[in-house]
Amino acid sequence: MSSPSMLTKFESKSSRAKGIAFHPKRPWILVSLHSSTIQLWDYRMGTLIDRFEEHDGPVRGVDFHKTQPLFVSGGDDYKIKVWSYQTRRCLFTLNGHLDYVRTVFFHHELPWILSSSDDQTIRIWNWQNRSLICTMTGHNHYTMCAQFHPKEDLIVSASLDQSVRVWDISGLRKKHSAPTSMTFEDQMARSNANQADMFGNTDAVVKFVLEGHDRGVNWVAFHPTLPLIVSAGDDRLVKLWRMSETKAWEVDTCRGHFQNASACLFHPHQDLILSVGEDKTIRVWDLNKRTSVQSFKRENDRFWVIAAHPEINLFAAGHDNGVMVFKLERERPASAVHQNQLFYITKEKHIRSYDFAKNLESPSMLSLKKLGSPWVPPRTLSYNPAERAVLVTSPADGGCYELISLPRDASGAIEPTDTKRGSGNSAVFVARNRFAVFTQSNQQVDIKDLSNSTTKTIKPPHGTTDIYFGGTGCLLLITPTSVVLYDIQAKKNLAELAVNGVKYVVWSSDGLYVALLSKHNVTIATKKLEQVSTLHETIRIKSATWDDTGVLLYSTLNHIKYSLMNGDNGIVRTLEHTVYLVRVKGRNVYCLDRAAKPKVLQIDPTEYRFKLALVKRNYDEMLNIIKNSSLVGQSIISYLQKKGYPEIALQFVQDPQTRFELAIECGNLEVAVEMAKQLDRPKLWQRLSTEALAHGNHQVVEMTYQKLRNFDKLSFLYLSTGDQEKLKRMAKIAEHRGDMTARFQNALYLGDVQNRIEMFQEIDLYPLAYLTAKSHGLEEQAQTILEASGLTEEQISMPSVGKPPTPLRPIVPTHKTNWPTHGTSSTVFEKALLGEVDGIGSEEAPATNGPGDEDLLGNEAPGAADGQLAEGDEDEDIAGWDMGDDVEVEADNDFVNVESAEAGSGSSEADLWARNSPLAADHVAAGSFETAMQLLNRQVGAVNFAPLEGRFQEIYQATRTYLPANPNMPSLVNYVRRTIQETDSRKILPLIPRDLDSILTGELQAGKTAMVKNKLEDGVQVFKKLLHLLIVNVVTSQAELSDAKKAIHTAAQYILAMSIEISRRALVQNAQDISSLSSDTKKRAFELSAYFTVPELEGPHKSIALWGAMGFANKNKQYSTALSFANALIDRTSNAKFKETARKVKAVCERNPIDAVEIDFDQFADFEICAASFTPIYGGSPSVACPFDGSKYHAKYKGTVCKVCEVCQIGAPASGLRLVG
Amino acid sequence: MDPYSPEGELINLHSAFHAGAYQIVIDFDTTPISQAAELPARVLKLRSLIALGRTKEVITELSGEKTPDLVAVRLLAEYEEGNDVVDQARKLVERHGSDNLTVQLCGGMILSRAGEVEEALALLSKHQGSLDAVALIVQIHLQQNRIDLAAKEAQRARKWAQDSLLVNIAESWVGMREGGEKYQSAFYVFEELAQSNQSQSAHSLVAQAVSELHLGRLPEAEAALQQALVINEKYADTIANMIVLNTILGNTAETEELKAQLENVNPEHRALAEWREKREEFTRAMGRYSPKFEV
Repeated sequence: MSSPSMLTKFESKSSRAKGIAFHPKRPWILVSLHSSTIQLWDYRMGTLIDRFEEHDGPVRGVDFHKTQPLFVSGGDDYKIKVWSYQTRRCLFTLNGHLDYVRTVFFHHELPWILSSSDDQTIRIWNWQNRSLICTMTGHNHYTMCAQFHPKEDLIVSASLDQSVRVWDISGLRKKHSAPTSMTFEDQMARSNANQADMFGNTDAVVKFVLEGHDRGVNWVAFHPTLPLIVSAGDDRLVKLWRMSETKAWEVDTCRGHFQNASACLFHPHQDLILSVGEDKTIRVWDLNKRTSVQSFKRENDRFWVIAAHPEINLFAAGHDNGVMVFKLERERPASAVHQNQLFYITKEKHIRSYDFAKNLESPSMLSLKKLGSPWVPPRTLSYNPAERAVLVTSPADGGCYELISLPRDASGAIEPTDTKRGSGNSAVFVARNRFAVFTQSNQQVDIKDLSNSTTKTIKPPHGTTDIYFGGTGCLLLITPTSVVLYDIQAKKNLAELAVNGVKYVVWSSDGLYVALLSKHNVTIATKKLEQVSTLHETIRIKSATWDDTGVLLYSTLNHIKYSLMNGDNGIVRTLEHTVYLVRVKGRNVYCLDRAAKPKVLQIDPTEYRFKLALVKRNYDEMLNIIKNSSLVGQSIISYLQKKGYPEIALQFVQDPQTRFELAIECGNLEVAVEMAKQLDRPKLWQRLSTEALAHGNHQVVEMTYQKLRNFDKLSFLYLSTGDQEKLKRMAKIAEHRGDMTARFQNALYLGDVQNRIEMFQEIDLYPLAYLTAKSHGLEEQAQTILEASGLTEEQISMPSVGKPPTPLRPIVPTHKTNWPTHGTSSTVFEKALLGEVDGIGSEEAPATNGPGDEDLLGNEAPGAADGQLAEGDEDEDIAGWDMGDDVEVEADNDFVNVESAEAGSGSSEADLWARNSPLAADHVAAGSFETAMQLLNRQVGAVNFAPLEGRFQEIYQATRTYLPANPNMPSLVNYVRRTIQETDSRKILPLIPRDLDSILTGELQAGKTAMVKNKLEDGVQVFKKLLHLLIVNVVTSQAELSDAKKAIHTAAQYILAMSIEISRRALVQNAQDISSLSSDTKKRAFELSAYFTVPELEGPHKSIALWGAMGFANKNKQYSTALSFANALIDRTSNAKFKETARKVKAVCERNPIDAVEIDFDQFADFEICAASFTPIYGGSPSVACPFDGSKYHAKYKGTVCKVCEVCQIGAPASGLRLVG
Repeated sequence: MDPYSPEGELINLHSAFHAGAYQIVIDFDTTPISQAAELPARVLKLRSLIALGRTKEVITELSGEKTPDLVAVRLLAEYEEGNDVVDQARKLVERHGSDNLTVQLCGGMILSRAGEVEEALALLSKHQGSLDAVALIVQIHLQQNRIDLAAKEAQRARKWAQDSLLVNIAESWVGMREGGEKYQSAFYVFEELAQSNQSQSAHSLVAQAVSELHLGRLPEAEAALQQALVINEKYADTIANMIVLNTILGNTAETEELKAQLENVNPEHRALAEWREKREEFTRAMGRYSPKFEV
């Protein structure tokens, strides 16, 4: 009989397995075989990692060290071997036993190995110095097993002499962990004691001898925590023993094995005993009742050994033909999600709910103790929100289900009263009042109503293994090779999808898609079961859940991953422990762990959101993501490139080479030009020229030809674009270079006969010169040439030529603009991005600078040529081209510049400031008030700029000086910089008046002085000025920034404090005695005076506030309040006068600590003062803050202008003040 | 070619003129000079009068003159007075612009100040090796924010005019835009001018102060400006730069006072005009936000 809930995870085929050990951390198991081999398996992957073959004959015992990369083995060759699995070698051998070694174990902390042997001894070895340190004799037959106690200095051993012995080894530990410094006497005593050991064995003494087995005992084990021992013997019995400090006795016997019991152990976490025997069974016993819980039988293999994983719920048993690794029960907690609630069954078999939004677990609602067998957890849970009922299935008793109504309120683990039950393997709700029950044995699905009576019966396809909800009125029938969508009403198959081995089905929240999970595959299908995508995982897939946006998140044994509809997938995060996902919301993944506890894991959904946005072409979303998060670099880039979005990838790349490639790929010439300029390599120019030509962007073509010094092509380009001017210049250059061919060509292009004739004459080709002149009808000149050359007309044979052709001219002056044949490449995305960037006001401008951003101040900048052409003579003209003898590198720059120069005004330095800086102050200096305001609005929610006008003006006018220049001309405006040494136009920035230092020593001090001098109105003004100075400013470092923020905070607090006091004074018209005022006014006055003490002021100033409040309260018989202020004052002030007064007040108040008027002030409560209403905001009550100065307000003030800074909008979304570039 | 060249007899007069020492120019004794230099000297004197704001005297003095040079100067004076003489200037330029330097300079100034920058540049480019024209071209380029072109122009002038004062000055103007080490070089040039008796003037002192201000040497800048105020307390540029300095120092009260002074002296000074413009922009930009006040 195979137990339904024993789950085999791994099986190996080999010869008889005699020893097994789990690695404490890795998914490894060591198996020692009868054939002398030791195998190391990865049971998760099912692979054999290594083999160790040095023993001669069977290896019976094996154990991993807990922390070191070591293991120990003992075999029939009498040897104990210690191995390193890293170096894969036997490190050394411990010799000493005189017969087979049966078991070997490491001590959990000491460097000891415990061995038992057929030589009737138990020995302890020190593996560090490789010595035998103790030999325990006493058993008078083979000792079959000996184990250390997991915590105490005890050993338990089992022998074929039918006894189990418990040994006390505390003496041995003492001896081996004694302090190193010993007196001579100690040493003497010690050496004497050692002597005694040899004979008297005081190191290890027998504590108890347990007799009860009628045959030899094969195995014995301690309980991990309780004083219990379990043993298994050839009498086929498993015996449970208990021990106290002084005695040990037999508790009970587990009867059931019908052959020798080979090994046994306690379940590490549950009250269970596991045993294996030669009757080919694994048996599980209830520790408390000693009854059989379940058993598992193999057909042909006798079991020899069993081992438990120390941490996780895994066991391994060795048998005649190998090893099996198994779990006793499913660890997947049964659960169901409905809207914001998760219903799940705990390990105690209680139903609980969990609220995702509140992150709150309910108390237990129901106990399912009675469902199935107590040791078998329920398998599935199906929830019916209409009826608030659950349907639970359990694999116990061949499969059963129970329909239970949940109580209205969770009031504890009550036993359900009104339950309907039946047998079946799976049960799911299919409608509000119907559920389906599937029984595998008779291959039948029953549709039942809520009173549990069958309304319909369906014959599913042959071999159906499971059923799942399939959308309203439908079922998904799972067979080993396919999934069938079945319409219950129509009783027919709607669709079928061939997928192997589906185990779980997960519907998306909108019910449109379904994920079918099998062991190693995820298949996504539509609700009509049309396959959308499928993916394969080498690691086992455990669970899945859908994101609201249609991304599937699934968990494997060690990762959470995502899959898009198109099958793109990736890792979201790694997992330390296996979890079962139930829901994902934003950055939170909700899951149940193996202990059935709800957990929330944080994930970063950026990557898949981005990919999703890409797939959906949701550019806004992508933009948003790009702006707000730092996307992973290389992977995203290659992803984008692979997916054919080079233009988007371009946005992420910094490396110029890659940028160039991408730009070429997506046809973004601007960027390509920019990058080519940076890299300046002929190859790149070459490629750029080809690309630009294809685009029809002849201006870029022209530039690349110039860069490449490709004169011929350049000439032809000018010819074809009809740029006569430049063509003429090319002719001049050719002349200058002395390149006659080029000159000829250019002259041809220009139709310049004269030039050609001259050229021929220069190179003594008079006949050609003559012919040219002649054929163009220049008779006179022809004659001159003839004379000069001393020839006569007859000597030259004149071919008959027709009318000389004139070169073709483009009709339209195309050279003036490009005629793009390609659409420019800016995609919607790029446009959005650029548009956005503009809108932002160039906060990101430095990153997106286009080619227009050359160094405008540089000497090399575009330019001089036009001026030169207009005025200069020819020599100068050419000189501009710098075509001297050294027509080499340095010519390049001018060469290009000449061409790209244009007259007209440039951008002023102020414009550069705005371009160079993301700081509002720099934009103000640049005169770009609009963008400055935008920046302030985004950074600190500034909306009311009127108070900042002065500051704007100040900054603006501090940055422009007036330099008298030519007489009778207006003075020249120059721009004052704070980057005095800088000349790179991309780095220059304006001077911003009033640096942090001057503010800290100026306004901040002045404000505090005003506080001391009791000039509160002035103080408020000064502090407000400080706020206005700092809101538009720059600082040099992060450290200064935090100083600035501190100053802002301080100023805000002082303003608040002073305003409170000012309003109190206005209320009582500066009177100290207010007995004449109405009680409401009094109460308010008291409150205000108390609140005055709340803001964070500096020590002495706080004392002033306390002193004032104390005096005010005392005078007006608020003794309790006065007392609390007096106490606070005594605590904190160093001012003797204050202290003195406070003591007096305290003395007076303590006599009658009662307030005349009850006020809303609790000195012990944690609260802040609303800066608008001057009333307390207690911790936990809703509040909003000014994004700039942090002043707190009651929620109702949200959206209004902050009373403290008078600039920013309370509660506005803000990215935070930015003062450092 | 250039009557003001180092070899010329008007070198001192010319230097003083360009250092802004107008009174020295006006008081300059021109009796010993040659006949050929008479007209250029007169032009300088007249332009100095204009620079000192004595435009009406100039207009009266030149009302009957027909010499193109003097007509050009008169037009400049009239332009300074606020009369629209651009068309007259154009006509004059058409007739005499190709070879008469004074016409080129005055015409260039009028055109560029009237916003006809390209026209002005075209006219000035016809000069025959005049540093005055070069300086004017440099200034116009700087006003256009074409530092590159200005630098080129100055560089080329240095090739033929070597270390002339005007080349140095023009280079310094450019340097004041380029920044970095150029600030210091500009300072040296301006300081030399400002500290020599021949050329000390509010004009040159202000130039020195401005360069120091850009170098971040505020106390020195202030000293120079104070000195300039002693020479001429009504020189608008002194006051304008004083405003800048006090703003940087955070002296709000002084700043306001100085602004009132400037308003008196020259309400059309750029420092004031520009802020008036900017203020409107501020109000406009501010209007995009509608702050809600809690009552």
